[in-house]
Amino acid sequence: MKNVVLLTIDTLRQNALGCYGNKRGLAPFIDSLQDKCTRFTRGQASGPYTQASFPGLLTSSYYLEYGKPKGLAPERTLISEPLQEAGIVTAAFHSNPYICGFLGWNRGWDVFYDSMEDEVEPRIPYIRGHVINTKVSDWLSSHAGKGEYKPFFLWLHYMDIHEPYMPEKKYVDMVDPSVTVSQDEMYSLFENTLLKRDTSDPAKITLLKKLYDIHVREADTYVQEFFGTLEKLDILKDTLVIITNDHGDEFNEHGGLSHDDKMYSELIDMPLLIYDPSKDKGEVSDNVVSNLDIPPTIVHLFGLAPVEGFKGHSLLPLKDYPRTGVFGEAIDQRSQRGGNMDKDIYYYREGDLKIIYRADIDAWEMYDLREDPRELNNIANTSPKAEELKNKLLPRVRRWIS
Amino acid sequence: MTDKEKECAELIEKSKEVVRETFKKFKVEDLAITWTGGKDSGLGLWIIRQVCQEDGIKIPKVMTIDEFDVFQEVHDFMEKYAKEWNLDLEWCRNDDLIKAAGGKLNATVKVKDLNERNQSELKRIGFEEETFPFEAESYTGNHLMKTVMFNMYIERHNVKGIFQGLRRDEQAARVQDEYFEEKEAAHLIPGHLRIKPILHFTERLLWNTYQVYKIPYCILYEQGYRSLGAKTTSAIAEAGVPAWEQDLEHTTERAGRRQDKEQMMGRLRKLGYM
Repeated sequence: MKNVVLLTIDTLRQNALGCYGNKRGLAPFIDSLQDKCTRFTRGQASGPYTQASFPGLLTSSYYLEYGKPKGLAPERTLISEPLQEAGIVTAAFHSNPYICGFLGWNRGWDVFYDSMEDEVEPRIPYIRGHVINTKVSDWLSSHAGKGEYKPFFLWLHYMDIHEPYMPEKKYVDMVDPSVTVSQDEMYSLFENTLLKRDTSDPAKITLLKKLYDIHVREADTYVQEFFGTLEKLDILKDTLVIITNDHGDEFNEHGGLSHDDKMYSELIDMPLLIYDPSKDKGEVSDNVVSNLDIPPTIVHLFGLAPVEGFKGHSLLPLKDYPRTGVFGEAIDQRSQRGGNMDKDIYYYREGDLKIIYRADIDAWEMYDLREDPRELNNIANTSPKAEELKNKLLPRVRRWIS
Repeated sequence: MTDKEKECAELIEKSKEVVRETFKKFKVEDLAITWTGGKDSGLGLWIIRQVCQEDGIKIPKVMTIDEFDVFQEVHDFMEKYAKEWNLDLEWCRNDDLIKAAGGKLNATVKVKDLNERNQSELKRIGFEEETFPFEAESYTGNHLMKTVMFNMYIERHNVKGIFQGLRRDEQAARVQDEYFEEKEAAHLIPGHLRIKPILHFTERLLWNTYQVYKIPYCILYEQGYRSLGAKTTSAIAEAGVPAWEQDLEHTTERAGRRQDKEQMMGRLRKLGYM
């Protein structure tokens, strides 16, 4: 395969997609790709929100590895770097303020668009998917539109599902025309319910979820548009596309909203699809994998030697993936500017068992995800496997303190 | 001609093509040139003058933004050449903001003391606090002193095309920039075309061109400044070493500006992260 694309969709829950069981048809285009996809059923994000998850996704390393997080730690290797060194053209198009050039994420990219130079709306401060697509299309046309071109790695990221949940009418009408809420009312719901994490009114939570679902449908149209561009430029046949998220979103499954420092499935379960145009039959893998595995996979796909700084393992070939567990970690972002290192939380998943540890209150939770997929029944004190799992997780707790 | 001279001549020719194409598209009255007194807009202005002299066209009007915190040397340089080159130069200044700050840098400005236009502009960038310090290079200050004055100038003169002295190599994000960029009309921003004739010049080649063609530049560059912005936030890169003798290839032209951090923080706040 000549080119690799990493297409990430912010805040996309794994169970929003039809190919993961959702019956509402919110992502018909992504669902339609399954015949050419390897789909991972047990992918786990290494963190429940952007800052905690992106180090795994783009540097194959853990969020708290170097203590209090600031910009991109110089010790981390960003996926662009080894690829650029190997002569692969690297390009990034996104609008997430946490992954901006100012914070150091522009290392190793031949082209890096982080939207910080462009105007955004005051209420929805990111660039929409179709504008990202236009910029990507312009670049692809100039890079690969005329005959011979150098292989490329392209990362594009859509922010559209991320709150404040204010979908435009045309997308509302695609999903649920009964939603007649105005943009101002949507914004008010965001300010007064979501920002305040107020879960007292079930009707408001239902409405938030409806608006969220509409955005999922919107994002699917952008994915379709992007694939259309690859096809039009006759690049699709030579390009592998990895589709995933950074984290999910909560709608009161565990008493909260949005995406805070919790390690439950609604935030951690990752949709992960590897689209390969040369496949004629879809494959499904139940390997428990981490988003840390994505950079090593990309390196493997380009036929390069494994990168030393990457802590994950290539997802492919499937049979060679080591059957170990996966980890994640985060800190409380809301109680203190810059995040609170004293309110740290960790998880470890092995098979269908997940153990979670909140260090500041020394609290353990453990769930059997097969029997109890909603994670309501804490078996940390009763499970015979609890001790073993605790011992695997403990060495990671506050490991940066010497 | 030496190789160096040939290289500069080719780059200038390319810029002149862009300028000539612009004059084909628009009447002189509908055009304007931005000039900061710095090396980039200075080169753009010089090239446009060359074309106007060669083709017998009147040079379009020139605008500059007085961001209040200016170097006297830059001001004097611009006054001198505006006169010598007979330029129709307009100095744009957000006097309402300066008044609200009592004419003092770093003074606290109360939003309610500003006029309606300034208040709307603050709303437009999502600024909701009641006060802010008067600093040109802060995100808020930059918006009111520069962006707003720019937009108002375009509105006032019904400018259809405006020349800017931007180079691709200044920032990674500019790599895909084109010579002609259409800016769609939006709230408080009139639609217009931006023309960037010197995009293809690098910092090094720019200085080579200044030397080959003996183009005038502000004396501050000789003293070691590489980049000239607001006085308090522009620093000498290497004292006593003229800009063109510094290691342009391996050091950054503009140090990480505080404005970038504020932009980022503003967006994160709006997304509910703080």
